Amino acid sequence: MVTQTENVSIDPRGDFSSEDLKLRPINCELNPLTRSDASALFTQGDTCVLTSMLGPVEVKSQNLNIEKAHVECIYRPKAGIPTIEDKLRENVIRDTCESALLTVLHPRTTISIQIQELDNRCGIEACAINGACLALLIGGVPMKFTIAAVHCIVDKDDKVVLDPDHCKAIGKRASFIFVFDSLEKNLVTVHTSGRFRMAQFNDAECMSRAASQIIFNFYRRIISNFHNKSLLTADTKVRNTEAETVVKSEPMDV
Amino acid sequence: MTEIVLPGDRISAAEELAKLKKVILGPGLRRENEQVVVCKAGRLNYKEPNAYWIDSYQQRYVPVRGDAVIGVVTAKAGDIFRVDIGAHEQASLSYLAFESATKKNRPDVNPGDVLYGRLIVASRDLEPELVCVNSIGKKGKLGVLTDGFVMNCSLNLARMILRENCPLLRSLTKEMPYEIAVGLNGRIWLKAKSLRETIALGNAILAAENASNEEMSKICENIGNILFT
Repeated sequence: MVTQTENVSIDPRGDFSSEDLKLRPINCELNPLTRSDASALFTQGDTCVLTSMLGPVEVKSQNLNIEKAHVECIYRPKAGIPTIEDKLRENVIRDTCESALLTVLHPRTTISIQIQELDNRCGIEACAINGACLALLIGGVPMKFTIAAVHCIVDKDDKVVLDPDHCKAIGKRASFIFVFDSLEKNLVTVHTSGRFRMAQFNDAECMSRAASQIIFNFYRRIISNFHNKSLLTADTKVRNTEAETVVKSEPMDV
Repeated sequence: MTEIVLPGDRISAAEELAKLKKVILGPGLRRENEQVVVCKAGRLNYKEPNAYWIDSYQQRYVPVRGDAVIGVVTAKAGDIFRVDIGAHEQASLSYLAFESATKKNRPDVNPGDVLYGRLIVASRDLEPELVCVNSIGKKGKLGVLTDGFVMNCSLNLARMILRENCPLLRSLTKEMPYEIAVGLNGRIWLKAKSLRETIALGNAILAAENASNEEMSKICENIGNILFT
């Protein structure tokens, strides 16, 4: 009945061992906040963010755009006021989310995304983008596709490591954030820092693209659970008692 | 049919059907060239003979023409009232859009009043416009709502209550007398005999959001038992 976005086999050429293609365990709680339009508490390993979204809401006159919605992102660090680094993250997240949103359907409005960092143990940007995507999904704003962000580093031994925790990331030489869309797995955003060889970049991209499928599968599962819980009311079907808002996932390997 | 779809998915069944006859795409679906693409996460629904739509969870109201909504008057500006309906923009309401209102005989509406109105203009490029009369100039059920209590809920709950086969309001009527107005913008106005009953009603309605039909009547019975023992 439904053609899902093409199921690319996670590692078509078998270039990587399953040990390499491992993301930290992903957990999520939907709508922990009551006052926002949609919110998500998203964790990847020990990295944790709380994202919420409002929209489409009233637009400030200086941001008014008569052709499309204005997208804004507010990133709050764990302590203190946002630094320049946080402002840069804000821009990356905003531009990434804007490319996934169908902003033309809501002209003269604002779609606002708030991100509160709760714990940064490496890969906070990727975690924030994934959390923001989930919040937008359940917020009911129209989107072209879903997005998945994967963090990747070149460690001190010159090896490419996918989604490391903070222990593995000590002395890293470079770090990458890749964001893919759910349609063709095309790159939406690349954000890099540090020094690396082109071959390492290509390796990291291939690994991240393969691993993004894990995140897309996770989206589908958690959204199914969410809707089975909240929309089964009118049906006479037996309720899915196992559907809980909190989906506990085992460590996800491919 | 209970498939959950995510943005970017293609509905091949709708594409196949479109080759034979016209297909109606409802909320959450878009046509891109010859493809039917999902743009909201939710449950895919199909109604004979040719309508597809997505039932998605939403808290924020987007105005749709013909919807009955509950709004709060925020300002009186010359010939029009400004009404907050929970959308991105305030709706306008002409003072002539009330039953038997004339230039001389202005309706008694003040900022802070709660209204039940119908949207006659709701386009993404235009300011939404409300009226409190139907097409033959009678007020029907529309107009200012006096007393009572307004609460917010998700759009899904509002739509569910208004569905014809929803047993919630019917089983609540067995327990106590009350008045209710449900706005499709996720606002519910309630009026019962006492404050206690109003609060109980509100809680019963909000609790019904995740309940099945059988659970709903159980919730309503419980409320009645607690209130009148």
